[in-house]
This record gives sequence, structure tokens and C-alpha cells, in this order.
Amino acid sequence: MTITRRFLTNWQSILALCIITGYVIVAVGAPWIAPQEDPQNPTFLRRLPGVRPTALRIPRPPRPGAPLGTAPGGWDIFYALIWGTRPALRFGLITALLTAVTGVLIGAFSGYLEGAGRLLMRVTDAFLTFPAIAGIYLFRYTLIPMPALLSTSADASLTFWQVAFQKLQLDPTMLALIAFSWMPYARIIHANFTTLKHTEYAMAARVTGAPPLRIIFRHLLPNAIAPAIVLATRDIGGMVLLEATFTFIGLGSGLPWGTLLVASRDWIIGPGGNPLTYWWVFVPATLTLIVFSVGWNVLGDGLNTALNPRTRGYRSD
Amino acid sequence: MPTLLKFLIRRLFAIPVTLLIITATLYGILMLAPVEVRAQLYMPRGSSNNPNLRPEVLLQQIIESHGLDDPYPVQYLRWLGRLLQGDWGWSAGFRFDVLPALLQRTPATAELTFYAVVLLIPLGIIGGGLAGAKEHRAVDHAFRVVAFVATAIPPFVLALVLLGIFYAGLHWFPPGRLTAGEEFVVANAEFTTYTGLLTLDGLLNHRSDISLSALRHLVLPCITLSMVHWATLGRMTRAMMIEEMHKDYVTVARGKGLKERLVIWRHALHNAMIPALNSIALSTASLIMGVFVVEAIFDYPGVSELIVSSSVLGAPDTAAAMGFAVYSVLLVLPVMLILDILQAVFDPRLRDELAAQ
Repeated sequence: MTITRRFLTNWQSILALCIITGYVIVAVGAPWIAPQEDPQNPTFLRRLPGVRPTALRIPRPPRPGAPLGTAPGGWDIFYALIWGTRPALRFGLITALLTAVTGVLIGAFSGYLEGAGRLLMRVTDAFLTFPAIAGIYLFRYTLIPMPALLSTSADASLTFWQVAFQKLQLDPTMLALIAFSWMPYARIIHANFTTLKHTEYAMAARVTGAPPLRIIFRHLLPNAIAPAIVLATRDIGGMVLLEATFTFIGLGSGLPWGTLLVASRDWIIGPGGNPLTYWWVFVPATLTLIVFSVGWNVLGDGLNTALNPRTRGYRSD
Repeated sequence: MPTLLKFLIRRLFAIPVTLLIITATLYGILMLAPVEVRAQLYMPRGSSNNPNLRPEVLLQQIIESHGLDDPYPVQYLRWLGRLLQGDWGWSAGFRFDVLPALLQRTPATAELTFYAVVLLIPLGIIGGGLAGAKEHRAVDHAFRVVAFVATAIPPFVLALVLLGIFYAGLHWFPPGRLTAGEEFVVANAEFTTYTGLLTLDGLLNHRSDISLSALRHLVLPCITLSMVHWATLGRMTRAMMIEEMHKDYVTVARGKGLKERLVIWRHALHNAMIPALNSIALSTASLIMGVFVVEAIFDYPGVSELIVSSSVLGAPDTAAAMGFAVYSVLLVLPVMLILDILQAVFDPRLRDELAAQ
């Protein structure tokens, strides 16, 4: 049975695929689902027109024109959820992909090389002890240009790195997540490489004089990559979720879903502690995040069953 | 257990290497900031003792006297030397020496971490073990749904909903660490601070009411913190359990007429929990990250105050950032060590293997 067929016989994988496709459709179709007022200047958040500024502070329940009500500040929740899909998908995909590539490369080289490999694994272990949150904190203060209170010259306040950082439009949250989440990938690939490099086909490749890079990328990596793909799939949802959490502490990169939830934080505890009084300020956004994250997780599980040779012997459903 | 001792010593020797690698990297990141920004940290606050001195000149003097323009290895080694002498620098944002500020908040953080770990490990292993043993039955499906949602819910939303129900609604579990009146009792000279862990100090001072109140304050943060990691550990245990249940020794155990209960809990789970614990040991850093997040949400006076308050200020507080980073690593290492010991206790093979390396 091919991997694709094994993947598609699992109803949970189909469900996950449907969920992800749903999000992609919403992301692509956002201009039709929730039209922008000014297509020249697209915004991910919008306030409803015709509301008195003094009334903006209080969240309003769902009504025609705002199907999911408004958050404190007058933000249209439905609009923010629809338009937040694009940045969320982009953030999740880019972060997970870059994390996976970093980890896989480090793991591959550390698994193939002998001496340098051991050093790389020590670096990996060192990074494992470091919470990403402290990394964000460091990156913010070094890579985002701070308004220099006292500067000896006007242009000296921007370093080469800060300029590069602005040009690449990376944000410190994403960078910190990449810099401090690649270790599991490296460990898994490293473990696979150390066993694979002693197999006969790898030896044969070496005997025929194939250069190391060719052996690594052409022969070993395709056989070692499966668990990294599973991990990356699960991480796509996880990264978006982490970003929302960081937004709460004030260290996020401002994706609309998280921003919306954080803006509503004071209204989640309703009068008398009833969280359902102002349900619309957090239930739709939370559900959007949960379904997004669960979708990628289930997809990862499905891929795992399809790709993992240990479960190939017996059907798991 | 001499082999276990050997294993521990080996682990302890790895700590300085880890610290060197991570601090060198972080200091490198820190050096990316412009020299003026880093110099501002040392600017005197308030009324200057020399009003004739222009700020720009002073800044240049600071850069020169602190050697902020020196090459990276020189500065890193100087910083490391100071760190080893106990000088963690002065936080401009917090207006406090970094090390005392961190140490003062350590017991609160340690207490929260300890109770959360004690709560989540048995929950994760039992939940995942049960689900894995009854694969594709109702228990398994229920576990998977709960675990998926637990990993997918933003912790601050969960925390706020819990606070709404159990604090604002039912008045059971308040936020913070103690009520104002009890804070006063603890600050009193008659109350001896032995460990700084309030649940323990209360008992040692024969004030069980303080211990109880501290526990009540810990309930919601602990639940929020355990939720994510409980689910991760549980899912890992479940996956391992499914693999174990298909192995020959389980069939043999069943075949010789062993009760299913013993097969699951004594045979299969014992082997399934070791790799699961290993995986959770590797994610200790994310557990500590969760601790910082939960502290911020519940207004719990732990170490995270340092980053949260200065990120609000928006000041380039490099000493606090670096100190916080080193501190996080130092906090992760003991937790990792505890999990390693647990693993070694459960797996005699690993104990011998590691000692033989």
C-alpha cells in the first residue's frame, strides 16, 4: 500500500485535510467573505463605522453588520477572524518550515560527521535548556531599533543587523521561535543518520566515490526525513498558538487572532464570574485557534501513521 | 546505587559546558545591539553630580570606561568573569541589581514549578497509559479529544475562564500568592522564612493556615500550567503504550493467564513511560516558559515579573535580559536532572548503559 493510500484510508486524516483546506479557502476568499472598505489599503482589523467613539470601549453582541459582535475598542470580530487567517497561515508555515530546515540541516551534519558532529550535538543540548521566551526578550532589544535617547550621531543608531532585519521583514518573535525550537528536529535526524550511515547502501555510495554532500542529501536524508515532516506539521498550529500567548505578555508579533483575544482579556471574566456574559469576545476567536491547531495536529498524526514503518505491519484503525 | 551516582556526576559535569555554549551565543546576540543603546544602561539617573557634563560626552566616557567598543570575545569573557564573581549587572528597567531581584522571586517560581510537575507527571502517564491500552475504545477517544483541546487552547484564555468561574464566581481560588493580611503575617519577624516556599514555611512555623492559603493560591496556576504539558506527556505515553501492547512479551503475559490489569500497569506501562519521560525531559524549557507565562497571567510574584515589567517599559534593559536568560537556563537544568533521575530509576538498563559510556 502506498503512503498516500495509507494516509487517505484514515478518516481522521481526511477530517484534518478538510479543516486545513477550509482555512486555506477562507484565507484566499477573504476579500469576498468580508470585503475591505478600501482595497488599496487592506487592514486586518476594522472598526465598525457609525459607532460613537465613547461607545467603542464596551463590546457589543452579534448583530447585522457584525455577525460575531465587536470586541472592546469596537473591532469587528468576524472581520478580524476572516482576515487573520492569512497572516496566521503565513506565520505558521514560514516559522515551522524555517525551524524544520534549520534543525534538519544541523541534525544531518551532526549525524554524518564524527568530531564536529559531537560538538553540534552539545550545542543542540545547550539550546534545549533555553526557553524561547527569554530569546524573544533578547531579540527585541537587539534587533528592533530602539529610540535612542542619546545618540552621538543620527545614523549610528542602526546597526547592520537591524537594517538587515528591517529589510527582511522578520519579526523578533518569529526569529526567536525558530532559533529556539529547532532542537527536536536535529535530535531526530541525528539519531536516524547515525544508524543509516552504517547501512550497506550508504557504504556502497561512499565506495563509489560519491561526495559527502551527495550522500547526505541524496541517499540518507530521504530515508531519515519522515519524523521531521510529522513534527513540522504539528508545529504549524503550535507556532501560531505560541504567538498568541506571547502577545498576551506583550512579546508577540501582532497576528490578528491573538491581538483580538488579548484586546478582550478584561471582558472574559464577566460580571459575577460568568464567562458566558460576553461570550462573543473570546469564544469564536478561541475556537478558531483551537480548530486550527487541532487540524494541523491531527494531520501530523495521520502523516505519522502513514509514514512510520513501525505501524505499517498492522492497521491502526 | 553507585552507577546512578556516576550518572549524576557525569550529568553535573555537563552543566558548565551547556552554560558556556548558551551564554556565548546569547552574548553574541546581545552584541548586535548598537553600542549607544547598550551604554544607556549605565547612564546615571536623576540629577547628575556634574551638571556641566554634556550627555553625549558622558555617553562616550561610559563606552570607553566600560569597554563597550571592545571586540566580542573580550567583552564576553569580562561579563563571564563578573558573572562568576556574582555580579549579574544592574537592571535599569527594574532599578535593582539583577541577581538579588531574581533570587528574591525564586522560591515563588520554584514552588509553582514543583507542584505543577508533581501534578502533571502522574496525570499524563496514567491518562496516556490508559488510552494506549484501550486503543480505539471510548476512553481512548475521550483522552485524545481532551488532549488535543488542552494543547490547543491558549493558556491565558483558559486561565481567565478558570479565574472567572473559581475566583470571581465561587471565590474559591484567588490569584496572587497570599492575601494581603497573610502577606503581613509572613513579613512579620515572628514568622521565620526557612525556605521561601510558603507551603513548607507555614508548616515549619506551625501556621498551617498560611500553608493552606498558599496551596489555594497555587491551584489555578498549577492547573493551567499542567494542562498543556499533561497532554503532551499523555500523548507521548499513549503512542509508546500502543507500541508496547503489540509486543510479544505482552502476549506471553496474557497467555500465562496474568490479569489484564497487571499486564497493562505492571508490564506495558513500565516500558512505555521511559521514552515518554525522556521526551518530556527534552521539553523542560517549554515547561519553564509556561511557568513564566502562567505567572504573568495570575499576577503571581515570580521571576517573570522581571521580563514583563521591563517589556512594558520598553527600555533596552540588557542586564535584565542577559540575567534572565542565564537564570532560565539554570532553572531548566535542575528540572532536567530530576527527570533524568526519574528515568534512570525506572530504567535499570539506561542506568548501566550511561555509566558504561
